[in-house]
Amino acid sequence: MSILLQENTKVLIQGMTGKEGQKAARAMIEYGTSVLCGVTPGKGGQEVETKPVFNSVKEAFAQFPEISVSVIYVPPFAAKAAVLEAIEAGVALINIFVERMPIQDTAYCLAAARERNIRILGPSSLGCMVPGVARIGVIGGPKQQADQIFQSGSVGIISRSGGMTNELSWQIRNAGMGQSTAVHVGGDLLVGTTYADLLRLFEKDDQTKAVIIFGEHGGSYEFEIVELIERGEFTKPLAMYIGGKFANSLPEGVNIGHAGAIVERGKGAREKEQALSRVGVMIAERYEDLATCIQTYV
Amino acid sequence: MNLYEFEGKKIFETYGIQVPRGVVVRRGENYGDAYQQLDVKEVVVKAQTLSGKRGKSGGITFASSKEETEVCCEKLFNTDIRGQYIAAIRIEEKLVIAEEHYLSITYDTNKRRPVLIYSAQGGMDIEDVPEEKIVKQWIDIRSESVGSDIPFANELWQVFLKEDTRLVEINPLVKTVDGVWIAADAKIAIDDDAFFRHEEWKTFEPRSMMGRLPTERENQAKKIDEGEAYYRGTAGKYIEMDGDIALILNGGGASIANMDALIQLGLKPANYTEYSGNPPREKVRALTEVVLSKPGIRGLWMCGVVANFTNMKETFLGVIDVLDELKPTYPIVVRRDGPESAEAIRLVRECAARNHLNLKIFNKDVSMTESAHVLANMVR
Repeated sequence: MSILLQENTKVLIQGMTGKEGQKAARAMIEYGTSVLCGVTPGKGGQEVETKPVFNSVKEAFAQFPEISVSVIYVPPFAAKAAVLEAIEAGVALINIFVERMPIQDTAYCLAAARERNIRILGPSSLGCMVPGVARIGVIGGPKQQADQIFQSGSVGIISRSGGMTNELSWQIRNAGMGQSTAVHVGGDLLVGTTYADLLRLFEKDDQTKAVIIFGEHGGSYEFEIVELIERGEFTKPLAMYIGGKFANSLPEGVNIGHAGAIVERGKGAREKEQALSRVGVMIAERYEDLATCIQTYV
Repeated sequence: MNLYEFEGKKIFETYGIQVPRGVVVRRGENYGDAYQQLDVKEVVVKAQTLSGKRGKSGGITFASSKEETEVCCEKLFNTDIRGQYIAAIRIEEKLVIAEEHYLSITYDTNKRRPVLIYSAQGGMDIEDVPEEKIVKQWIDIRSESVGSDIPFANELWQVFLKEDTRLVEINPLVKTVDGVWIAADAKIAIDDDAFFRHEEWKTFEPRSMMGRLPTERENQAKKIDEGEAYYRGTAGKYIEMDGDIALILNGGGASIANMDALIQLGLKPANYTEYSGNPPREKVRALTEVVLSKPGIRGLWMCGVVANFTNMKETFLGVIDVLDELKPTYPIVVRRDGPESAEAIRLVRECAARNHLNLKIFNKDVSMTESAHVLANMVR
C-alpha cells in the first residue's frame, strides 16, 4: 500500500491549458497516472495531451464523476476561486501547486475544505509520488529521471521543500533503498497537510517501515511531531534533518528560505532538533546522513 | 513586510482605532517645529524601527519642551537600537495611562486559522505574560466580525482582513485615566503575496529586516520578480552579507541547508540567493549579474538539488550569459541535476573552456555537501 494515491486515483487538472499545467499533464500521464480531464474557464472544448478541457469543474464532473484528485495550476490571483470550485464539487484531495498565494486566500480555502472533510496538499506543493503506481504534480521530473530516483520501497518521505523531496528520494535510492510515498507539503506559513497529518497515515501504512523528513527553521509544524510521538500516535523509526541553523544569527522577523521560514524566538533549527531528539527522533547533521540513519530499519 | 509604527497608526486611524496624536520627523528635519505643531507639553519621542524591543533598547524617550525634544531626537537618531535602522521618529502626545492591555490577531499555523490574543496585562512581550492571563479566541476567516467585548477587537479584525496582514498587534492597548481606549503602539506585518490587490503598497519606502537600509543590490534584485510574470519562477531573493563566497542556490529548502553546510566549513557567504520554480533565462541572468557585482568575491558556489521541473538548460544559460561577460578568475563550483541536465552541463563546460574559468561542475553523483568541500579546497 501507499498513502494519498492508489492505482485507481483519477485526476483533474485545473489550469491545464497553461504552461505549467500542460507540463504537469505530461508528467502525470507519462508516469501512468490516470488524468481524466482539465478545466480552464473560457477554454472549454480544447484538448491537452488528448484530454478534454472544460469551462468549469462542475462541467468536468458531469462527464467524469469518478474524479478523486484535483491539481491546481493557475496564477496566484486565481487560486482561491479555483480551489473553492474544487471544494464545491467535493473532490477528496486537492493539490495546490500555486506559489505566492495570499495567506488569507489559503486560510479561506482551508476553512471551506475542513467543513467538507476534504484534504488539501499545499499551497506551493509540487505534489506527491508513489513509485511505480502514480504521481500527482511534477515530483521527480521527466519520467526517465523519475525512474532513476524512485523505486518502490519502504521509506516514507516528507519535505517542506520540493527540491529536497527529490534530493532525499535520490539519497535513499542511491543507498539501495526505495520509497513508499514521497510528499511535498509546501513551504508556506499555512499548509493544508502537515508532517503530523502524514505521519498518521504512514503509521497505518504497512509498506512504510521508516520515515525521513526535511524540516526547516521557522513556523511550528515540527513541534506537532513531538506531540504526536508523545501521544503514541506515531511509533515507526523517524529521522529528520532541520535546515537553517545559520539563521539564528539573523534578526528576528527576517524571512530566509521558504515563505514560512521566518526567524522567530523559540522556533530555530536547533530548538526544533532538541525537542524532536527528546522524543526519540534521529537527527541528521547533514541531509545526506538521513539514509544512513534509517538503513537498519528497512 | 513589516510596517513602521507610524505607518501602522495611519492605517489604524482609518479603521476607527484611536491613536495618540503625533508628528513624524525624518533625520535632519526641524524637530522643534514638529513639537510646536503638536501643541502639547508632554511628549513621547519614539524611534521608528522594524523590530520590537525599542523600549528596552532606549528607543523611546520623553520630553516636555521644544528644546528637550530637539535634544531627544538628535540623540535618538544616533542611538544603537540593537543595530536597527531608524527610519524616522514619531513625536506624540504623552498619554496619562490607567491600564495597559495587549491585543493582537495573527495566524495560528497549527490550528490553521486566525487567532485573537488578548491580555489585560500588556506593555510587555506577550511571551512573558503567564498563560492563564491570556485569552485566545480562534476566528473563522470567513466571518465579517468577531463577537467580542474587547475594545477595538472588531476594528482590528477589519484591518487584519482588508489590509491582508499576517499580524496586527496593539501593545500596549492603553486605557487612559479618562477611560478612553487608545492604541499606543502599532505593529503590522503585511502579506507581500497579496500585493496585486493593494496598489497603495507601492508607496511604502524600501526596507530590510536586516536592521539596515536595503542595499542597492537588494533593491535591484527585488525588481526581478516584479511585473506581470512575477509568479513564473522566483529569482528576486538576494540578501547581502559580509563574506566573500558568492552564492547562487536553488530552492527555498536546499538553499538554507546549503548555507549551513558552507558556514560549517568555515566559509563566509557574500550573499543569500536562491532561484526556484522555473524562471526564464532573463530572470536568472539579472540575478547572476547582481550576485557577481559584489566586490571582493573569492569563489562562486552554484548549488541545487536534482530539480523536479526547473529547466536546467534555460536557467544555466542565464548564468552563462554573465560568465561570458565577466570571465571571473576565482574558483567556481557547480552542483545541480534535473531536466535537460546533460545539455546544460555541456554548455557550462564549453563556457568554462572558452573563458578559461577555474570551474568544476557535478551532477547528482556528487552530493551538495561534497561539492561544498570541493569549493573549500579550491579557495584555500
